[in-house]
Amino acid sequence: MSLASASSSLLRSCARQQVPAARAALASCQQQRGVADASSKATFASPFDNSTTKIPNFGKYASSKSPRSNQVFSYFVAGAMGLGSAVGAKATVQDFLVNMSASADVLAQAKVEIALDSIPEGKNVIIKWRGKPVFIRHRTSGEIDEARATNWESLRDPQSDEDRVQKPEWLVMLGVCTHLGCVPIGEAGDFGGWFCPCHGSHYDISGRIRKGPAPLNLEVPAYNFPTEETLVIG
Amino acid sequence: MAGLTSAIYSTFIHRNAVYLSTIFLGAFAFEIGYDVASNKIWDAMNRGRQWKDIKARYMQAEEEDDE
Repeated sequence: MSLASASSSLLRSCARQQVPAARAALASCQQQRGVADASSKATFASPFDNSTTKIPNFGKYASSKSPRSNQVFSYFVAGAMGLGSAVGAKATVQDFLVNMSASADVLAQAKVEIALDSIPEGKNVIIKWRGKPVFIRHRTSGEIDEARATNWESLRDPQSDEDRVQKPEWLVMLGVCTHLGCVPIGEAGDFGGWFCPCHGSHYDISGRIRKGPAPLNLEVPAYNFPTEETLVIG
Repeated sequence: MAGLTSAIYSTFIHRNAVYLSTIFLGAFAFEIGYDVASNKIWDAMNRGRQWKDIKARYMQAEEEDDE
């Protein structure tokens, strides 16, 4: 401990002795430089004694603009570089993602358009969409009332009729039984909707599972009505 | 000039968060502008050859056929 403190105090005294000399050298240097700037000499002598070095005057290369303006220029260049890289990186990533998504011809084939005026009220239509049957039913007002009046909170897969249809008179859903994938029969079963003959699942007029082994309601695909009389599935 | 540069510095550069936000917002705006400009140039170079330019002719003919 005592040895360490002795050595550190020695070091400190050394440093203290060094400081005035260095400070003098610095002062002379600054002075010399000030003189050089003022008279814009071509060169000036090294501030250190007995040195033969001649330091040239770099004033010619110094910017005549204010330091702030140079700083703003540097930051602008760096920022513009960052801006360009951000745009380039975004475009690259986007190109890859667009490349992975389905092309326009595939998307066009994945849609089916149906004229609704050909389906009379109270009738089912089965169409093929992406290799699967789709049931479209033009429901009567009595059927709509029946579907809405059901106490849906107590069902196996609770879903209100409002959540399953966009327009109450048109029920659109995939005709694949959620049990093992058979195609249910329309206008059959205990609940006036669909009945799956394979294992006896009964669906109601909103396509909800009411009885039998199926765990879920019949799936509703994405669809929309571009006009009053057409339906596009997909 | 000095007033302008120091105004730019204190507005956009002084705080790093503002600087970075400016860069990303600028990138967003630049991308939109670049896309619009390049689409305009493309359409100008291909005027009369694209479907949207000639669509009116065929659509009219189709409607006449329907009628």
